[in-house]
Amino acid sequence: MDHTVSKIMSKDYQMKAAINQKLIEMGERERLKELLRAKLVESGWKDQLKAHCKDVIREKGLEHVTVEDLVTEVTPKGRALVPDSVKKELLQRIRAFLAQHAAL
Amino acid sequence: MKMEDMPLSGPDNTKLEALVNDIYSELVEDACLGLCFEVHRAVKQGYFFLDETDQESMKEFEIVDQPGVDIFGQVYNQWKNKECECPNCKRLIAASRFAPHLEKCLGMGRNSSRIANRRLASNNNMSKSESDQEDNDDLNDNDWSYGAEKRAKKRKSDKSQTSPRRSKTLKHKNGELGSGISADPYKYNYNAGINYEMLGPDEVQSFLTTQCGVISEHTKKMCTRSQRCPQHTDEQRMAVRVFLLGPSAPVLPEADSVAVPESFDIPDGQALMSRLQWEDSPEISPSDSASSKASTNHSDSRRPKKKKPRPSLGLNSGGGIGSLSGGGGGGSSQSNISLSTKKKKPKLTAPSISSIYDDLN
Repeated sequence: MDHTVSKIMSKDYQMKAAINQKLIEMGERERLKELLRAKLVESGWKDQLKAHCKDVIREKGLEHVTVEDLVTEVTPKGRALVPDSVKKELLQRIRAFLAQHAAL
Repeated sequence: MKMEDMPLSGPDNTKLEALVNDIYSELVEDACLGLCFEVHRAVKQGYFFLDETDQESMKEFEIVDQPGVDIFGQVYNQWKNKECECPNCKRLIAASRFAPHLEKCLGMGRNSSRIANRRLASNNNMSKSESDQEDNDDLNDNDWSYGAEKRAKKRKSDKSQTSPRRSKTLKHKNGELGSGISADPYKYNYNAGINYEMLGPDEVQSFLTTQCGVISEHTKKMCTRSQRCPQHTDEQRMAVRVFLLGPSAPVLPEADSVAVPESFDIPDGQALMSRLQWEDSPEISPSDSASSKASTNHSDSRRPKKKKPRPSLGLNSGGGIGSLSGGGGGGSSQSNISLSTKKKKPKLTAPSISSIYDDLN
């Protein structure tokens, strides 16, 4: 039983790895990354998050703030703040890529 | 294992979706991490809070978002409707028109001298020939194209009807004409029209030997352009001379050149000949005979004047009717064209004309 589960899981894992590899190889991942960055800046997400950073820094003290602090404070908020339109568009693009290159 | 082998059916769709979402979250996390690194570096390097100062200054320079006002809070067309008093002519001028007005008013600036000379030429009737000579030289300046000149002249004559300064007489060089407006020292030439009534017969005569002199109907002033001025025909010039100086008037210098064989003369000869053909009035014929007498007198005095100040004129016409070089001489080349196209009979009868005059002489 475990064997089969692990087999399935590993299959998924392998699939995922393969897809990721393909994404990178074809340069699609970079493109998607740039697209996302541009859209986030455009929508003001970056400024919002930066303001949140300022609060965190003032809270923790300018001298003692670390990367981990920032990451743990900022990432969940960042994920939540992404506008729906941006999210939808990106999901759409990923699906399209998969459809094209992963034999649906 | 090949990806293509994997069938993606119903349950796999959710897997697919999950996969898509995974990829998406990875991308978003990358973006967040990127931001964190950026901020952290800014903090450690000390430039993170550079755009912030004390609260007071921040409030002062806050972005303004009201209608009618720019983001600094300034009204942008505040001074559009204001009027300024010109220090020269003491008039109230709209702010946006102030600079060009000053340029014209003070007579400094690239266009103002050109416009002044143009106006002088079109409005002036009489002045000492030397001063006119300069103005005419400006007109005949090689930089100008004929078309622009003619257009400008037409425009100016239209403008002169409605221009507020039309009736003002301005100071003139030789002080002959009426009182000038002291505030317009540069514009003294503009409307100091050469009115034939103001000048004595000698002055009229000397003027007419060098300028066109045709009297404009609406302004009653004499044309100060050259003898070959394209706006007026030779008949007009003849008529003016007769009118002003009587039947014994020394006539247009075109008559001179008929006596001397030059290619320059042929267009003039044509003009003369056509005049003879068309005009039946008795005034013209005695003046013709008179002209031939005077022609020899004038030819000497006329020639040097013709050659010296306007060498381009002679050169161009020397080139003959057919070949007009370059168009550098402005008015002269144009008049050559007009004359040659109008009268085609020419060369055959030209010698006959000179023979007529020889007989008269």
